[in-house]
Amino acid sequence: MEMKPQTAPAGRVEFEGFTEEESVRLQRAGVFVSTIEQLKAWARANSLWPLTFGLACCAIEMMGTGASHYDLDRFGIIFRASPRQSDVMIVAGTVTKKMGPLLRRLYDQMPDPKWVVAMGSCATAGGPYVRSYAVMKGVDQAVPVDVYIPGCPPSPPALIYGLTKLQEKIRAEARRKVGRA
Amino acid sequence: MFGFVKGLAVTISQLPKKKVTIQYPDVRPEWPERFRGIHELIPERCIVCGQCARICPTSCISLSGTRGEDRKLRLDTFDISFEICILCDLCTEVCPTEAIKMTGEFELAAYSRDELYKNMEWLYDNYIRHDGVRELEAAGEPRAVPEKAGERGE
Repeated sequence: MEMKPQTAPAGRVEFEGFTEEESVRLQRAGVFVSTIEQLKAWARANSLWPLTFGLACCAIEMMGTGASHYDLDRFGIIFRASPRQSDVMIVAGTVTKKMGPLLRRLYDQMPDPKWVVAMGSCATAGGPYVRSYAVMKGVDQAVPVDVYIPGCPPSPPALIYGLTKLQEKIRAEARRKVGRA
Repeated sequence: MFGFVKGLAVTISQLPKKKVTIQYPDVRPEWPERFRGIHELIPERCIVCGQCARICPTSCISLSGTRGEDRKLRLDTFDISFEICILCDLCTEVCPTEAIKMTGEFELAAYSRDELYKNMEWLYDNYIRHDGVRELEAAGEPRAVPEKAGERGE
């Protein structure tokens, strides 16, 4: 099964564990590794299973997005109730300092590959509680965040837009770096 | 078995009904008139009274201006940090000249927090994309409409 990598003429693909010269030769030969990575990214981007992690009013909007009016199932996004089964964490709502360690634990319990979406102003930077002593000023203090969605709360289309951006990122990552674990 | 058939009957009874799903990425949603989206700014209208910055509950607006030859204040910088902006509409309510207004824009998700810090140029681009299309046309000076605010088509 011979497949040419899509990025062959324009951008050079770097293969992990190979020298530059070998990468060029592998790429010229039309390599299977590259397409496997892109195939995996395609599968991952189209079956994002987020962890049901609603903390505040953003969760209501997240539920609304999952329901029939906006229907996240169209994108293969199905909410899971266990971190062991999910690969995206939509942090929807205010993360208090008390909740911070639990957020980190849930993130650690998720299997790789995993992504985090900070939904709403609270998860991004503290939002209306930016001067509070009890609220974490952004979840990026505890976990690495991939996409930030502003809004208080973001409307369902804004959330869908953010998740589309995450899918784009997953695909772009696979194209840029081949052989990622 | 009976329960299964009963469930299927509910599903089948829903089939001829009207579809309610809004096909968002293909079809843009229709917002009500008073929808609170991302701001737009018309720098010429601003008189640098600073009321928007004062009323902002999260202090996400910062602005500065200088007094010109005609003793009038001109806007130099105007920044909104959408990290903490809660789109409460208070800044547009207090604005005496309607320099800052809300639009129906909502697509602002970003990969980094820095990208959410928007300046005067970006907000004016957002104006050109929304109310500006109609208003500048009426004033006889239509502009190239940017694909997204911040990506000016010049």
